[in-house]
Amino acid sequence: MGIIVENPGIQTTVQDEGRFGSQQYGVSPAGPMDLKSFWIANILVGNKKEEGVLEMTFQGPALRFEKDNLIAITGGNLQPMVNGEPVPMYQAVLVHAGDELSIGITNGNGSRAYLAFAGGLDIPLVMGSKSTLMRNKLGGIEGRKLEKGDRIKFLEPKTELPNMKERKLTPAVFPKRELTLRVVTGPQDDAFSEEELKKFFWYSAKITNEFDRMGCRLEREEPLHHLVDGNILTDGVSFGSIQIPPNGQPIIMMADRQTTGGYTKIGTVISVDLPKLAQSMPGYKVRFVRVGIELAQTLYLRQLQTIQNLDQRLNQR
Amino acid sequence: MEARFLAAGDSAVSVQLGEDINLEVNGRVRKLFEELIKHPIKGVRELVPTYASLLVHYSPEIILFKQLKEEIIERIEKLDFDKSEQKEAIRIVKEIPICYDKDLGLDIEDCAIFENVSIEEFIRMHSSHEYYCYMLGVAPGHPYMSRFEEHFHFKRRETPRVHISGGSVVAQLGQSNLIPFDQPCGWNIVGATPVTVCDYSKEDPFLVHAGDWVKYVPVSRKEYERIKKEDRKGTYHIKTYEKKVV
Repeated sequence: MGIIVENPGIQTTVQDEGRFGSQQYGVSPAGPMDLKSFWIANILVGNKKEEGVLEMTFQGPALRFEKDNLIAITGGNLQPMVNGEPVPMYQAVLVHAGDELSIGITNGNGSRAYLAFAGGLDIPLVMGSKSTLMRNKLGGIEGRKLEKGDRIKFLEPKTELPNMKERKLTPAVFPKRELTLRVVTGPQDDAFSEEELKKFFWYSAKITNEFDRMGCRLEREEPLHHLVDGNILTDGVSFGSIQIPPNGQPIIMMADRQTTGGYTKIGTVISVDLPKLAQSMPGYKVRFVRVGIELAQTLYLRQLQTIQNLDQRLNQR
Repeated sequence: MEARFLAAGDSAVSVQLGEDINLEVNGRVRKLFEELIKHPIKGVRELVPTYASLLVHYSPEIILFKQLKEEIIERIEKLDFDKSEQKEAIRIVKEIPICYDKDLGLDIEDCAIFENVSIEEFIRMHSSHEYYCYMLGVAPGHPYMSRFEEHFHFKRRETPRVHISGGSVVAQLGQSNLIPFDQPCGWNIVGATPVTVCDYSKEDPFLVHAGDWVKYVPVSRKEYERIKKEDRKGTYHIKTYEKKVV
Protein backbone atom coordinates (compact mmCIF):
# COMPACT_ATOMS: atom_id res chain seq x y z
CA MET A 1 0.00 0.00 0.00
CA GLY A 2 1.31 3.41 -0.91
CA ILE A 3 0.41 5.96 -3.57
CA ILE A 4 -1.29 5.75 -6.94
CA VAL A 5 -0.29 8.28 -9.58
CA GLU A 6 -3.43 9.95 -10.93
CA ASN A 7 -1.54 12.59 -12.87
CA PRO A 8 2.22 12.38 -13.30
CA GLY A 9 3.07 16.09 -13.64
CA ILE A 10 5.67 17.33 -16.10
CA GLN A 11 8.65 15.38 -14.88
CA THR A 12 8.42 13.46 -11.64
CA THR A 13 11.20 10.99 -10.87
CA VAL A 14 12.37 8.90 -7.93
CA GLN A 15 15.73 10.15 -6.63
CA ASP A 16 17.87 9.11 -3.69
CA GLU A 17 21.25 10.71 -3.05
CA GLY A 18 22.68 9.16 -6.21
CA ARG A 19 24.33 6.13 -7.71
CA PHE A 20 27.96 6.28 -6.67
CA GLY A 21 30.77 3.93 -7.57
CA SER A 22 29.87 3.33 -11.20
CA GLN A 23 31.06 6.55 -12.81
CA GLN A 24 34.19 4.67 -13.87
CA TYR A 25 31.89 2.58 -16.11
CA GLY A 26 30.21 5.61 -17.62
CA VAL A 27 27.14 5.53 -15.37
CA SER A 28 25.98 8.99 -14.35
CA PRO A 29 25.21 9.24 -10.62
CA ALA A 30 21.87 11.04 -11.11
CA GLY A 31 20.38 11.97 -7.69
CA PRO A 32 18.63 15.21 -6.71
CA MET A 33 19.31 18.44 -8.57
CA ASP A 34 18.93 20.37 -5.29
CA LEU A 35 20.68 18.27 -2.68
CA LYS A 36 19.91 20.60 0.22
CA SER A 37 16.13 20.62 -0.25
CA PHE A 38 16.29 16.85 -0.77
CA TRP A 39 18.09 16.30 2.54
CA ILE A 40 15.70 18.55 4.45
CA ALA A 41 12.62 16.75 3.08
CA ASN A 42 13.94 13.42 4.36
CA ILE A 43 15.01 14.76 7.74
CA LEU A 44 11.59 16.35 8.34
CA VAL A 45 9.90 12.96 8.06
CA GLY A 46 12.52 11.13 10.12
CA ASN A 47 14.22 9.35 7.21
CA LYS A 48 17.91 8.94 6.64
CA LYS A 49 18.80 12.00 4.63
CA GLU A 50 19.81 9.88 1.60
CA GLU A 51 16.44 8.08 1.25
CA GLY A 52 14.56 8.02 -2.06
CA VAL A 53 12.00 10.79 -2.64
CA LEU A 54 10.06 12.20 -5.59
CA GLU A 55 11.66 15.08 -7.45
CA MET A 56 9.04 17.19 -9.21
CA THR A 57 9.80 19.82 -11.80
CA PHE A 58 7.74 22.95 -12.62
CA GLN A 59 4.44 21.14 -12.24
CA GLY A 60 3.97 18.25 -9.87
CA PRO A 61 1.84 15.11 -9.83
CA ALA A 62 -1.53 14.25 -8.30
CA LEU A 63 -1.21 11.27 -5.97
CA ARG A 64 -3.90 9.21 -4.27
CA PHE A 65 -2.88 7.81 -0.90
CA GLU A 66 -3.82 4.20 -0.13
CA LYS A 67 -2.47 4.39 3.39
CA ASP A 68 -1.84 7.08 6.01
CA ASN A 69 1.67 8.47 5.96
CA LEU A 70 3.67 11.50 7.00
CA ILE A 71 5.13 13.55 4.17
CA ALA A 72 7.24 16.67 3.75
CA ILE A 73 7.58 18.84 0.66
CA THR A 74 10.60 21.11 0.24
CA GLY A 75 12.38 23.05 -2.49
CA GLY A 76 10.57 25.15 -5.08
CA ASN A 77 7.05 26.25 -4.23
CA LEU A 78 4.83 24.13 -6.46
CA GLN A 79 1.74 25.07 -4.42
CA PRO A 80 0.80 21.65 -3.02
CA MET A 81 -2.73 20.84 -1.93
CA VAL A 82 -4.44 18.00 -0.10
CA ASN A 83 -8.04 17.42 -1.21
CA GLY A 84 -8.04 20.89 -2.74
CA GLU A 85 -6.78 22.69 0.39
CA PRO A 86 -3.30 24.27 0.45
CA VAL A 87 -0.85 22.28 2.53
CA PRO A 88 2.28 23.82 4.09
CA MET A 89 5.72 23.08 2.70
CA TYR A 90 8.81 22.47 4.85
CA GLN A 91 6.68 20.70 7.41
CA ALA A 92 5.86 17.10 8.31
CA VAL A 93 2.20 16.65 7.40
CA LEU A 94 -0.03 13.61 7.84
CA VAL A 95 -1.89 12.56 4.71
CA HIS A 96 -4.67 10.02 5.13
CA ALA A 97 -5.68 7.01 3.10
CA GLY A 98 -8.05 8.17 0.36
CA ASP A 99 -6.63 11.71 0.30
CA GLU A 100 -5.43 13.27 -2.92
CA LEU A 101 -2.14 15.14 -2.74
CA SER A 102 -1.87 17.35 -5.77
CA ILE A 103 1.26 19.30 -6.43
CA GLY A 104 0.57 22.34 -8.57
CA ILE A 105 2.66 24.61 -10.69
CA THR A 106 5.56 26.76 -9.49
CA ASN A 107 4.58 30.16 -8.11
CA GLY A 108 7.93 31.54 -9.26
CA ASN A 109 9.87 30.68 -6.11
CA GLY A 110 12.03 27.79 -7.36
CA SER A 111 11.26 25.13 -9.92
CA ARG A 112 11.97 21.76 -8.31
CA ALA A 113 10.26 20.34 -5.26
CA TYR A 114 11.05 17.26 -3.20
CA LEU A 115 8.39 15.03 -1.70
CA ALA A 116 9.59 12.70 1.04
CA PHE A 117 7.52 9.93 2.62
CA ALA A 118 8.19 8.74 6.17
CA GLY A 119 9.82 5.33 6.08
CA GLY A 120 10.79 5.68 2.42
CA LEU A 121 9.57 4.22 -0.85
CA ASP A 122 9.73 0.62 -2.02
CA ILE A 123 11.89 1.01 -5.11
CA PRO A 124 14.36 -1.68 -6.16
CA LEU A 125 18.04 -0.78 -5.96
CA VAL A 126 19.91 -0.80 -9.25
CA MET A 127 23.67 -0.72 -8.73
CA GLY A 128 23.00 0.32 -5.15
CA SER A 129 20.63 3.21 -5.80
CA LYS A 130 16.97 4.10 -6.31
CA SER A 131 17.78 7.14 -8.45
CA THR A 132 16.22 7.42 -11.89
CA LEU A 133 18.53 8.05 -14.82
CA MET A 134 16.06 8.56 -17.64
CA ARG A 135 18.68 8.87 -20.38
CA ASN A 136 19.83 5.31 -19.73
CA LYS A 137 16.46 3.92 -18.58
CA LEU A 138 18.00 3.08 -15.25
CA GLY A 139 16.68 2.96 -11.67
CA GLY A 140 13.50 4.43 -10.20
CA ILE A 141 10.36 3.12 -11.84
CA GLU A 142 11.52 1.29 -14.96
CA GLY A 143 14.12 4.00 -15.49
CA ARG A 144 11.51 6.60 -16.46
CA LYS A 145 9.50 9.48 -15.09
CA LEU A 146 6.21 8.72 -13.35
CA GLU A 147 3.20 7.85 -15.48
CA LYS A 148 -0.50 7.79 -14.76
CA GLY A 149 -1.45 4.57 -13.00
CA ASP A 150 1.96 3.93 -11.42
CA ARG A 151 1.77 2.57 -7.92
CA ILE A 152 4.57 3.01 -5.41
CA LYS A 153 4.52 1.17 -2.10
CA PHE A 154 5.58 2.70 1.18
CA LEU A 155 8.26 0.83 3.07
CA GLU A 156 7.40 1.72 6.69
CA PRO A 157 4.70 4.41 6.73
CA LYS A 158 4.32 6.38 9.97
CA THR A 159 1.49 8.45 11.39
CA GLU A 160 3.56 9.99 14.14
CA LEU A 161 7.13 10.94 14.89
CA PRO A 162 8.84 12.42 17.93
CA ASN A 163 9.12 16.24 18.06
CA MET A 164 6.18 16.74 15.69
CA LYS A 165 5.89 20.41 16.61
CA GLU A 166 9.47 21.06 15.64
CA ARG A 167 9.20 19.43 12.25
CA LYS A 168 8.46 22.73 10.66
CA LEU A 169 10.93 25.09 9.00
CA THR A 170 10.78 28.39 7.21
CA PRO A 171 10.47 27.69 3.48
CA ALA A 172 13.50 28.55 1.37
CA VAL A 173 13.52 31.64 -0.80
CA PHE A 174 15.24 31.11 -4.14
CA PRO A 175 16.73 33.71 -6.45
CA LYS A 176 14.43 35.33 -8.99
CA ARG A 177 15.57 36.49 -12.40
CA GLU A 178 19.20 36.90 -11.30
CA LEU A 179 21.62 34.77 -9.40
CA THR A 180 25.27 34.68 -8.49
CA LEU A 181 27.18 31.43 -8.63
CA ARG A 182 30.56 31.07 -6.97
CA VAL A 183 33.12 29.17 -8.98
CA VAL A 184 36.41 27.39 -8.30
CA THR A 185 38.44 27.76 -11.50
CA GLY A 186 39.84 24.73 -13.30
CA PRO A 187 40.61 22.05 -14.34
CA GLN A 188 41.15 23.78 -17.72
CA ASP A 189 41.17 27.48 -16.86
CA ASP A 190 44.57 27.54 -18.57
CA ALA A 191 42.79 27.02 -21.90
CA PHE A 192 41.81 30.70 -21.68
CA SER A 193 43.83 33.92 -21.60
CA GLU A 194 43.70 36.04 -18.43
CA GLU A 195 41.64 38.50 -20.43
CA GLU A 196 39.00 35.90 -21.36
CA LEU A 197 38.90 34.60 -17.79
CA LYS A 198 38.17 38.12 -16.61
CA LYS A 199 35.39 38.39 -19.17
CA PHE A 200 33.89 35.16 -17.94
CA PHE A 201 33.51 36.63 -14.48
CA TRP A 202 32.73 40.16 -15.57
CA TYR A 203 29.82 39.61 -17.94
CA SER A 204 26.68 37.73 -17.04
CA ALA A 205 25.10 34.91 -19.04
CA LYS A 206 21.48 33.94 -19.55
CA ILE A 207 19.97 30.54 -18.80
CA THR A 208 18.52 29.15 -22.04
CA ASN A 209 15.57 26.81 -22.50
CA GLU A 210 18.02 23.93 -22.69
CA PHE A 211 18.09 23.32 -18.99
CA ASP A 212 17.36 19.82 -17.82
CA ARG A 213 18.66 17.28 -15.32
CA MET A 214 21.70 16.70 -17.49
CA GLY A 215 22.91 20.24 -17.90
CA CYS A 216 22.17 23.93 -18.05
CA ARG A 217 23.12 25.73 -21.23
CA LEU A 218 23.88 29.40 -20.89
CA GLU A 219 24.09 32.11 -23.48
CA ARG A 220 26.61 34.92 -23.33
CA GLU A 221 26.30 37.94 -25.52
CA GLU A 222 29.87 37.45 -26.59
CA PRO A 223 31.07 33.84 -26.65
CA LEU A 224 34.26 33.02 -24.80
CA HIS A 225 37.38 32.45 -26.86
CA HIS A 226 39.85 29.68 -26.21
CA LEU A 227 43.60 30.04 -26.61
CA VAL A 228 43.56 27.03 -28.95
CA ASP A 229 40.13 25.42 -29.16
CA GLY A 230 37.48 23.99 -26.88
CA ASN A 231 38.59 20.39 -27.11
CA ILE A 232 40.67 18.45 -24.61
CA LEU A 233 41.62 14.85 -24.02
CA THR A 234 38.39 13.46 -22.61
CA ASP A 235 38.52 13.54 -18.81
CA GLY A 236 36.17 13.27 -15.82
CA VAL A 237 33.28 15.63 -15.15
CA SER A 238 31.84 16.65 -11.78
CA PHE A 239 28.50 18.14 -10.63
CA GLY A 240 28.73 21.83 -11.47
CA SER A 241 31.53 21.55 -14.06
CA ILE A 242 31.28 24.51 -16.43
CA GLN A 243 32.13 23.26 -19.88
CA ILE A 244 33.08 25.72 -22.57
CA PRO A 245 32.72 23.88 -25.90
CA PRO A 246 34.24 25.29 -29.11
CA ASN A 247 31.24 27.62 -29.61
CA GLY A 248 32.22 29.49 -26.43
CA GLN A 249 28.83 29.14 -24.73
CA PRO A 250 28.92 27.63 -21.21
CA ILE A 251 27.16 24.42 -20.20
CA ILE A 252 26.92 23.64 -16.48
CA MET A 253 26.84 19.90 -15.84
CA MET A 254 24.04 18.84 -13.48
CA ALA A 255 22.85 15.64 -11.75
CA ASP A 256 22.44 13.46 -14.88
CA ARG A 257 25.72 14.70 -16.39
CA GLN A 258 27.92 12.47 -18.48
CA THR A 259 30.75 11.07 -16.38
CA THR A 260 33.43 12.24 -18.83
CA GLY A 261 33.66 14.93 -21.46
CA GLY A 262 35.92 16.27 -24.18
CA TYR A 263 35.33 20.00 -23.74
CA THR A 264 37.37 22.48 -21.71
CA LYS A 265 36.03 23.15 -18.22
CA ILE A 266 36.76 26.68 -17.11
CA GLY A 267 35.59 26.06 -13.55
CA THR A 268 33.14 24.32 -11.26
CA VAL A 269 30.17 25.86 -9.44
CA ILE A 270 30.73 25.33 -5.71
CA SER A 271 28.55 22.73 -3.98
CA VAL A 272 26.58 25.14 -1.80
CA ASP A 273 25.51 27.20 -4.83
CA LEU A 274 24.25 24.29 -6.92
CA PRO A 275 20.79 24.23 -5.26
CA LYS A 276 20.29 27.88 -6.30
CA LEU A 277 21.03 26.97 -9.89
CA ALA A 278 18.83 23.86 -9.72
CA GLN A 279 15.92 26.06 -8.62
CA SER A 280 16.42 28.63 -11.39
CA MET A 281 14.56 28.91 -14.65
CA PRO A 282 15.26 29.73 -18.28
CA GLY A 283 15.73 33.45 -18.79
CA TYR A 284 17.47 34.04 -15.46
CA LYS A 285 20.73 35.95 -15.53
CA VAL A 286 23.77 34.26 -14.03
CA ARG A 287 26.88 35.98 -12.75
CA PHE A 288 29.95 34.03 -11.82
CA VAL A 289 32.23 34.97 -8.93
CA ARG A 290 35.63 33.44 -8.44
CA VAL A 291 36.41 31.87 -5.04
CA GLY A 292 39.21 29.71 -3.71
CA ILE A 293 38.78 26.04 -2.98
CA GLU A 294 39.36 26.58 0.77
CA LEU A 295 36.38 28.94 1.00
CA ALA A 296 34.24 26.61 -1.11
CA GLN A 297 35.04 23.72 1.22
CA THR A 298 34.48 25.77 4.36
CA LEU A 299 31.05 26.83 3.08
CA TYR A 300 30.21 23.24 2.22
CA LEU A 301 31.22 21.98 5.68
CA ARG A 302 29.17 24.72 7.30
CA GLN A 303 26.09 23.76 5.27
CA LEU A 304 26.56 20.11 6.08
CA GLN A 305 26.87 20.97 9.77
CA THR A 306 23.56 22.85 9.66
CA ILE A 307 21.92 19.85 8.03
CA GLN A 308 23.43 17.45 10.56
CA ASN A 309 22.34 19.68 13.43
CA LEU A 310 18.78 19.64 12.13
CA ASP A 311 18.90 15.87 11.82
CA GLN A 312 20.29 15.61 15.34
CA ARG A 313 17.66 17.93 16.77
CA LEU A 314 14.68 16.23 15.13
CA ASN A 315 15.78 12.64 14.86
CA GLN A 316 18.38 12.27 17.64
CA ARG A 317 20.98 11.07 15.17
CA MET B 1 56.92 12.58 -14.28
CA GLU B 2 55.22 15.48 -12.57
CA ALA B 3 51.56 14.94 -11.70
CA ARG B 4 49.27 17.96 -11.98
CA PHE B 5 46.46 18.42 -9.44
CA LEU B 6 43.63 20.36 -11.00
CA ALA B 7 40.69 21.26 -8.80
CA ALA B 8 37.39 20.11 -10.27
CA GLY B 9 35.32 22.03 -7.73
CA ASP B 10 35.26 21.54 -3.96
CA SER B 11 34.63 17.78 -4.05
CA ALA B 12 36.77 16.42 -6.88
CA VAL B 13 40.32 16.73 -8.14
CA SER B 14 41.68 15.76 -11.53
CA VAL B 15 45.09 14.13 -11.23
CA GLN B 16 46.69 14.58 -14.61
CA LEU B 17 49.47 12.11 -15.37
CA GLY B 18 50.31 13.00 -18.94
CA GLU B 19 49.08 14.81 -22.00
CA ASP B 20 48.76 12.16 -24.68
CA ILE B 21 46.74 9.12 -25.57
CA ASN B 22 49.13 6.22 -25.26
CA LEU B 23 49.69 3.06 -23.26
CA GLU B 24 52.42 4.57 -21.13
CA VAL B 25 50.34 7.48 -19.86
CA ASN B 26 47.19 5.42 -19.47
CA GLY B 27 49.27 2.76 -17.69
CA ARG B 28 50.10 5.35 -15.02
CA VAL B 29 46.43 6.20 -14.66
CA ARG B 30 45.62 2.51 -14.23
CA LYS B 31 48.39 2.00 -11.70
CA LEU B 32 47.26 4.92 -9.55
CA PHE B 33 43.64 3.80 -9.91
CA GLU B 34 44.50 0.25 -8.80
CA GLU B 35 46.64 1.51 -5.92
CA LEU B 36 43.75 3.65 -4.65
CA ILE B 37 41.32 0.74 -4.98
CA LYS B 38 43.64 -1.63 -3.14
CA HIS B 39 44.66 0.87 -0.46
CA PRO B 40 41.86 3.44 -0.32
CA ILE B 41 42.36 6.93 1.06
CA LYS B 42 39.69 7.71 3.62
CA GLY B 43 37.21 10.22 2.22
CA VAL B 44 37.67 9.25 -1.43
CA ARG B 45 34.21 8.49 -2.81
CA GLU B 46 34.82 7.44 -6.34
CA LEU B 47 37.48 7.23 -9.04
CA VAL B 48 37.03 7.91 -12.74
CA PRO B 49 40.03 6.92 -14.86
CA THR B 50 40.29 8.52 -18.30
CA TYR B 51 43.01 8.66 -20.99
CA ALA B 52 45.60 10.66 -19.11
CA SER B 53 44.04 11.58 -15.80
CA LEU B 54 42.23 10.19 -12.81
CA LEU B 55 39.27 12.14 -11.44
CA VAL B 56 39.07 11.62 -7.69
CA HIS B 57 35.67 12.43 -6.18
CA TYR B 58 35.97 12.98 -2.42
CA SER B 59 34.08 14.15 0.66
CA PRO B 60 35.48 17.42 2.03
CA GLU B 61 33.94 16.59 5.41
CA ILE B 62 36.43 13.73 5.66
CA ILE B 63 39.43 14.99 3.73
CA LEU B 64 40.29 18.44 2.39
CA PHE B 65 41.96 19.25 -0.91
CA LYS B 66 45.43 19.93 0.48
CA GLN B 67 45.65 16.75 2.51
CA LEU B 68 44.23 14.62 -0.30
CA LYS B 69 46.78 16.06 -2.68
CA GLU B 70 49.61 15.21 -0.29
CA GLU B 71 48.38 11.66 0.16
CA ILE B 72 48.07 11.10 -3.59
CA ILE B 73 51.57 12.52 -4.15
CA GLU B 74 52.87 9.97 -1.65
CA ARG B 75 51.18 7.17 -3.55
CA ILE B 76 52.57 8.36 -6.85
CA GLU B 77 56.06 8.47 -5.37
CA LYS B 78 55.60 4.97 -4.04
CA LEU B 79 54.49 3.72 -7.46
CA ASP B 80 57.58 5.30 -9.03
CA PHE B 81 56.25 5.45 -12.61
CA ASP B 82 59.58 6.45 -14.18
CA LYS B 83 61.25 3.31 -12.92
CA SER B 84 58.45 0.84 -13.32
CA GLU B 85 57.32 2.11 -16.70
CA GLN B 86 57.11 -0.87 -18.99
CA LYS B 87 54.69 -2.33 -21.45
CA GLU B 88 51.93 -4.27 -19.72
CA ALA B 89 53.32 -7.72 -19.16
CA ILE B 90 50.00 -9.51 -18.90
CA ARG B 91 46.98 -8.63 -20.99
CA ILE B 92 43.44 -9.61 -20.17
CA VAL B 93 42.00 -10.41 -23.60
CA LYS B 94 38.27 -10.65 -24.23
CA GLU B 95 37.13 -12.25 -27.48
CA ILE B 96 34.00 -10.54 -28.70
CA PRO B 97 32.08 -11.98 -31.64
CA ILE B 98 31.17 -9.61 -34.45
CA CYS B 99 29.11 -10.12 -37.59
CA TYR B 100 30.12 -7.94 -40.54
CA ASP B 101 26.97 -8.48 -42.67
CA LYS B 102 26.04 -5.34 -44.58
CA ASP B 103 22.65 -4.89 -42.92
CA LEU B 104 24.44 -4.78 -39.54
CA GLY B 105 27.65 -3.05 -40.62
CA LEU B 106 25.80 -0.38 -42.55
CA ASP B 107 28.96 1.43 -43.60
CA ILE B 108 31.37 -1.45 -44.13
CA GLU B 109 31.18 -1.23 -47.92
CA ASP B 110 31.87 2.52 -47.98
CA CYS B 111 34.70 2.09 -45.48
CA ALA B 112 36.34 -0.67 -47.53
CA ILE B 113 36.08 1.50 -50.65
CA PHE B 114 37.63 4.40 -48.75
CA GLU B 115 40.51 2.17 -47.66
CA ASN B 116 40.75 0.80 -51.20
CA VAL B 117 40.56 -2.81 -50.00
CA SER B 118 38.10 -5.67 -50.43
CA ILE B 119 35.53 -6.28 -47.70
CA GLU B 120 37.38 -9.49 -46.78
CA GLU B 121 40.61 -7.57 -46.35
CA PHE B 122 38.78 -4.86 -44.40
CA ILE B 123 37.43 -7.50 -42.01
CA ARG B 124 40.90 -8.97 -41.62
CA MET B 125 42.34 -5.53 -40.79
CA HIS B 126 39.59 -4.80 -38.30
CA SER B 127 39.58 -8.18 -36.56
CA SER B 128 43.17 -9.36 -36.50
CA HIS B 129 44.52 -6.95 -33.87
CA GLU B 130 43.84 -6.47 -30.20
CA TYR B 131 42.22 -3.25 -29.03
CA TYR B 132 43.08 -1.61 -25.73
CA CYS B 133 40.26 -0.11 -23.67
CA TYR B 134 41.54 3.19 -22.29
CA MET B 135 38.40 4.17 -20.44
CA LEU B 136 34.61 3.98 -20.33
CA GLY B 137 32.34 6.96 -20.77
CA VAL B 138 29.55 8.69 -22.74
CA ALA B 139 27.10 5.89 -21.87
CA PRO B 140 27.15 3.06 -19.33
CA GLY B 141 29.65 0.45 -20.46
CA HIS B 142 30.74 2.42 -23.53
CA PRO B 143 34.46 1.67 -24.09
CA TYR B 144 37.02 3.91 -25.77
CA MET B 145 39.23 1.41 -27.61
CA SER B 146 42.22 1.61 -29.94
CA ARG B 147 44.45 -0.79 -31.81
CA PHE B 148 48.08 -0.09 -32.53
CA GLU B 149 48.61 -1.56 -35.99
CA GLU B 150 47.15 -0.96 -39.45
CA HIS B 151 45.09 2.14 -38.71
CA PHE B 152 42.24 2.97 -41.02
CA HIS B 153 42.16 6.35 -42.71
CA PHE B 154 38.45 7.10 -42.60
CA LYS B 155 37.05 9.31 -39.85
CA ARG B 156 33.48 10.11 -38.90
CA ARG B 157 30.51 10.33 -41.20
CA GLU B 158 29.68 13.75 -42.59
CA THR B 159 26.13 13.45 -41.30
CA PRO B 160 25.72 11.76 -37.93
CA ARG B 161 22.92 9.23 -37.64
CA VAL B 162 20.13 10.20 -35.27
CA HIS B 163 19.75 6.60 -34.15
CA ILE B 164 21.97 3.54 -34.23
CA SER B 165 21.27 0.24 -32.50
CA GLY B 166 22.87 -1.01 -29.33
CA GLY B 167 25.37 -3.73 -30.24
CA SER B 168 26.71 -1.80 -33.21
CA VAL B 169 30.48 -1.82 -33.67
CA VAL B 170 31.76 1.52 -34.93
CA ALA B 171 35.20 2.58 -36.13
CA GLN B 172 37.42 5.47 -37.19
CA LEU B 173 41.19 5.62 -37.70
CA GLY B 174 42.71 3.24 -35.11
CA GLN B 175 39.65 3.23 -32.88
CA SER B 176 36.72 0.84 -32.73
CA ASN B 177 34.01 0.91 -30.08
CA LEU B 178 31.08 -1.16 -28.97
CA ILE B 179 27.82 0.76 -28.65
CA PRO B 180 25.88 -0.45 -25.57
CA PHE B 181 22.50 1.20 -26.21
CA ASP B 182 20.55 2.80 -29.05
CA GLN B 183 21.94 6.31 -29.46
CA PRO B 184 22.73 9.00 -32.01
CA CYS B 185 26.20 8.48 -33.52
CA GLY B 186 28.48 10.08 -36.07
CA TRP B 187 30.83 7.15 -36.49
CA ASN B 188 30.81 4.56 -39.27
CA ILE B 189 29.20 1.24 -38.38
CA VAL B 190 31.26 -1.76 -39.51
CA GLY B 191 29.39 -4.61 -37.81
CA ALA B 192 27.44 -5.73 -34.78
CA THR B 193 28.06 -7.95 -31.79
CA PRO B 194 25.41 -10.40 -30.61
CA VAL B 195 26.62 -10.00 -27.02
CA THR B 196 24.97 -7.51 -24.65
CA VAL B 197 27.49 -4.74 -23.98
CA CYS B 198 25.80 -3.51 -20.80
CA ASP B 199 23.24 -5.49 -18.79
CA TYR B 200 22.19 -3.86 -15.50
CA SER B 201 20.71 -7.11 -14.22
CA LYS B 202 24.09 -8.83 -14.17
CA GLU B 203 26.38 -8.73 -11.18
CA ASP B 204 28.99 -7.16 -13.44
CA PRO B 205 26.89 -5.26 -15.99
CA PHE B 206 29.83 -4.21 -18.17
CA LEU B 207 31.26 -6.40 -20.93
CA VAL B 208 34.50 -4.45 -21.22
CA HIS B 209 36.41 -2.70 -18.43
CA ALA B 210 39.09 -0.05 -18.69
CA GLY B 211 42.46 -1.76 -19.08
CA ASP B 212 41.03 -4.79 -20.92
CA TRP B 213 42.12 -5.84 -24.41
CA VAL B 214 39.46 -6.79 -26.93
CA LYS B 215 39.82 -9.10 -29.90
CA TYR B 216 36.95 -9.05 -32.39
CA VAL B 217 36.15 -12.51 -33.71
CA PRO B 218 34.24 -12.59 -37.03
CA VAL B 219 31.15 -14.83 -36.97
CA SER B 220 28.60 -15.80 -39.61
CA ARG B 221 25.03 -14.55 -39.49
CA LYS B 222 23.91 -17.96 -38.30
CA GLU B 223 26.43 -17.89 -35.44
CA TYR B 224 25.44 -14.30 -34.66
CA GLU B 225 21.78 -15.28 -34.26
CA ARG B 226 22.66 -18.36 -32.20
CA ILE B 227 24.94 -16.41 -29.85
CA LYS B 228 22.35 -13.66 -29.51
CA LYS B 229 19.74 -16.19 -28.38
CA GLU B 230 22.11 -17.78 -25.89
CA ASP B 231 23.26 -14.40 -24.64
CA ARG B 232 19.69 -13.29 -23.92
CA LYS B 233 19.10 -16.54 -22.06
CA GLY B 234 22.23 -15.89 -20.05
CA THR B 235 24.01 -19.04 -21.19
CA TYR B 236 26.61 -17.44 -23.47
CA HIS B 237 29.97 -16.42 -22.07
CA ILE B 238 32.66 -14.68 -24.04
CA LYS B 239 36.13 -16.18 -24.03
CA THR B 240 38.47 -14.35 -21.68
CA TYR B 241 42.12 -15.19 -21.17
CA GLU B 242 45.39 -13.79 -19.97
CA LYS B 243 48.18 -13.31 -22.41
CA LYS B 244 51.84 -12.57 -21.75
CA VAL B 245 53.35 -9.88 -23.90
CA VAL B 246 57.07 -9.31 -24.24
